[in-house]
Amino acid sequence: MSENIERRRFLKGIGAASLIMGPMGCTSVKEDSNNANKPHYVMVFDQNKCTGCGECKQACNAANNLPEGVSKCLMEHQSGGVEGQACPHCGKEECNCERKFVRVSCQQCKNAPCVTVCPTGAAHKDPETGIVTMDDSKCAGCKYCIGACPYNARFINENTDVADNCDFCLTSKLAKGELPACVQQCKYDALVFGDSNDPNSYVNKLLAVKDSVRMKPQFGTEPSLRYIPVVKLGV
Amino acid sequence: MDGSMEFTMGLSEGVAWPWPIAVYLFLAGISGGALVVALAIRFFKGQTANTPLYKAAALISFVTISLGMLCLVLDLTNPLFFWRILVFYNFTSVMSLGVIALCAYIPLTAVLCLYAFEDEIKAIPALSILLPVIKLLKPIRRPLEILTLILAVSVCAYTGFLISALIRFPLINTAVLPALFIASGVSAGAAASKMVSVLVFKEDIHSSELKLLHGAEWPIMIAEILFIVMIAMSLATGNEGAQSAFAAFTSGVWANLFWVGVVGVGFLGPILVNFFTGKTFSHSAKAFYLSGVCVISGMMCLRLFILYAGQTYAI
Repeated sequence: MSENIERRRFLKGIGAASLIMGPMGCTSVKEDSNNANKPHYVMVFDQNKCTGCGECKQACNAANNLPEGVSKCLMEHQSGGVEGQACPHCGKEECNCERKFVRVSCQQCKNAPCVTVCPTGAAHKDPETGIVTMDDSKCAGCKYCIGACPYNARFINENTDVADNCDFCLTSKLAKGELPACVQQCKYDALVFGDSNDPNSYVNKLLAVKDSVRMKPQFGTEPSLRYIPVVKLGV
Repeated sequence: MDGSMEFTMGLSEGVAWPWPIAVYLFLAGISGGALVVALAIRFFKGQTANTPLYKAAALISFVTISLGMLCLVLDLTNPLFFWRILVFYNFTSVMSLGVIALCAYIPLTAVLCLYAFEDEIKAIPALSILLPVIKLLKPIRRPLEILTLILAVSVCAYTGFLISALIRFPLINTAVLPALFIASGVSAGAAASKMVSVLVFKEDIHSSELKLLHGAEWPIMIAEILFIVMIAMSLATGNEGAQSAFAAFTSGVWANLFWVGVVGVGFLGPILVNFFTGKTFSHSAKAFYLSGVCVISGMMCLRLFILYAGQTYAI
């Protein structure tokens, strides 16, 4: 008998809880539909097409007036021979390793740790585009964002003494309606940029047919930079 | 597919937060810890007079937190930008919350100094300008002291939360870190105020207050050891990144600092001095200062180890 009563009370509790929890769940659905019209800019790096020419980096430095020796993006040479250099994979001057490069730059995270930890709100998401960028006039140079970034993709800009990151040329090229400088410069179509919330955009179509990965997915930062890796079976 | 691609380079070189931050964490820990013990004893014993321990703690907390602020400001890429942290706030940032706590805590440590040194201030004519301030603040002494105690614990804890938010570093990104920083801050703060109260304010080494503190130190030290073991075990048994960070305890220059500085000097030092020497030595002033210095140096080594080894063994 008593078991039955317990069960009835339990069911009542479930009913009451669902009445309370139900509407709470609905609020997040509403939020999502509000965001649907906002752009989500993504960049795709295709490792199959990148030759490591480095012109993207030069274009970036020119577009963003960066001081000597400082970059917002780097090319990491991972394997394969380049004249006069040892292969980073096997260590030999001449080898048959495939040439592989990878882009190192701000991953434009959806859950950006730098934005969360920044004490002044200098590292923030541009309200229009959702791109992670800097308000130089607020940055105190505490370097919290640099320590918090799981990708080590932030740095101190020696011209301004404040932190900086790749922001898809938000204030330089995008403001004029152009593509980011690196994307414009790439001769091999290894970089693609666009709005993934736009069903007709080229990035959207590309990501639909290509397998792409995000860097260090275990951090749950949800980067907007996607990578199409060289994948060969049986190696 | 995830994980099929990786990069190992970064855009900034070396550690983001170098030694001045470790010194700041150390000074803030001592500042908060000293006030925690002095105010806890004051409330526990229902004291109303300015005891030597209270004076020592008030002085230490004000001086150390001021020096700590100097470290923080000088570590900024451009120290002239420090005002921006005071003007702009972001409530998801631990640092911003810490700034709010410090903005209340630092003036309160100064107020506690005014309370503690009322007689001394009265004796010096040049400082008579402070007397009306003391008179004004006197009626709210108890509520201010309670507030200071809460903020002192917060300052100790916040230094732990501040760096445990850095998800790239498995050794630092642990839930136990704030607790470890409170425990080590309290033990070092207690050691510092004990020594200053005897050295400057002529407290008797065997007074009832100091006896109480001597007794409380061992459980705090055991808690500290336990927290460090927890961090080490969670790394040793954790995922790949955590296991590679466990090397911080076993190899390299930072492992030496840990075993010699933290374990040897910080933990074994006071134990040896107090339990494995003759009774005449362990009750002497020499042993008292020696074990106090050991505890404080051990704590400085712990902060250096956590900050440097933590940032070195990144994922």
